[in-house]
Amino acid sequence: MTEQRRRILLIDDEEVVLDSCLAILEGSEHEVALASSGAEGLDTARAWAPDLVFVDLKMPGMSGMQVLEEIRSLDPTVVCIVFTGFATIASAVEAMQHGAFDFLPKPFTPDEFRTMIRRGLEQRALVVERVALRREREALRENFAAIVSHELRSPLAAVQQNLFVTITELEGVVSEDQQRRLERMSSRIGDLLALVNRWLRGFTVDVAPLRDGFRPVAISAPVANALESARTEAVRKAVEVVAEVDPAATVLGDEGALTEAVLNVVGNAVKYSREGGTVVVSAVSRDGKVVISVTDTGVGIPAADLPRIFDAFYRGQAGESGVAGAGIGLALTRRIVEAHGGSITATSDPGRGSVFVIALPAHGTPVPGTEGAPPEQVLEGEKG
Amino acid sequence: MSERKRVLIVDDDPDFAAGIRAILDAQYDTAVMHNPEDGWDALQKDHYDLLCLDIMMGRGAEGVMMARKIRKDNVLREMPVLIITGLREQIAFLFPGQAVHPGFVPVDELMEKPVEPELLLQKAAALIAASEARKSR
Repeated sequence: MTEQRRRILLIDDEEVVLDSCLAILEGSEHEVALASSGAEGLDTARAWAPDLVFVDLKMPGMSGMQVLEEIRSLDPTVVCIVFTGFATIASAVEAMQHGAFDFLPKPFTPDEFRTMIRRGLEQRALVVERVALRREREALRENFAAIVSHELRSPLAAVQQNLFVTITELEGVVSEDQQRRLERMSSRIGDLLALVNRWLRGFTVDVAPLRDGFRPVAISAPVANALESARTEAVRKAVEVVAEVDPAATVLGDEGALTEAVLNVVGNAVKYSREGGTVVVSAVSRDGKVVISVTDTGVGIPAADLPRIFDAFYRGQAGESGVAGAGIGLALTRRIVEAHGGSITATSDPGRGSVFVIALPAHGTPVPGTEGAPPEQVLEGEKG
Repeated sequence: MSERKRVLIVDDDPDFAAGIRAILDAQYDTAVMHNPEDGWDALQKDHYDLLCLDIMMGRGAEGVMMARKIRKDNVLREMPVLIITGLREQIAFLFPGQAVHPGFVPVDELMEKPVEPELLLQKAAALIAASEARKSR
């Protein structure tokens, strides 16, 4: 990496300190500015945008601590290091708490100073890179909907639209086998469109407004819908799906969104099952909660992946199953579940299977056998 | 009443427009324009009973501009508009604070691409019938 010229600002009321620092830096590739008071240092910081600032803690007028805070509020990516005249741990610690990256006790040797500069500039490079990455990620997120919808979705929609017409027009004209192939094409395009939509939804949809339409929903309904949707894939893989659902278990929510949440989990369970495996879906009402658990005997999730599976675009290793998802389903599921005031957790025994548990606040009269009435639904205050 | 109704399709994706047209051709006289300007000119020249309008055209939501222009036009404001768009959710971004269905033309409907042929024919027929009923009142 080529060294670019970096800007170092030195703020100290002692001329001898500034002079000796300048002497040490002589011949280096860095640009240096000096200030003999806090106020002057701040002005320079504003106008000159330094990468690294050394500031003396004890100065007449504006204190080093104040300067530190002002510079940090000006630009939190500027790396600040404090000179401590009398190296008390307390003042150094306080400076660090106010955002200083490190401290350098006076007197210091030229080597100590150079080392501190190197470390400070390395830190600066890291901070700048991190900010750039974060900005890039936000821009990507913002542009994602537009890019995907227009560049990816439009051609798919055009193909599908024409297949719809063509299939109808060719009915009876082409052989049954050809007709079946056309329908398969249309069906695969449909899957692709659905996948693109899921991506988009996972990225852009604000689940918070769902709450405006919350109604009492018997959990059996979204579970049944989800199982129905997952059935094709289950049959294809000869995975048996067993459901035990308490018909009285009711939550306050959005049936469509809950279906999607359950389907994502059940779909995953089927997807990561081995052929001939079993997926058990149960929904019970207990302790004021409706608990939906999905247990599979599939390949499981490595412990290292487990904490991140609910993050958007995290896909983990395809591993033994050889399948990889889009990394959206579980992230969206968590958002839906959280919008319902619930939680989702996962445990897994790699190689033997996983258990996903969705817990939602129960609604309405308690099911016999549970203690006490379920609490009133609190719908606000969740993440928006 | 037996003459065929006329439908104008405005969509900048020629393949998609062709797919829509093939469905509507079964019951209507159709015309296709590939940008809002040509679409607007066509509406000035000829009478149409229904407009099928794409939203995301050209440099952004140019279909929205066209829909607004239609709403302000004394002659065209009564014409039913069927919006066929790539994504329902995008409409919500374009009309912040409004429901997904923007309702920017009083008589419009919104469908998501791709559209089921049966459903498209149903919606088109319903919109034209509703418009006729309004006129005869």
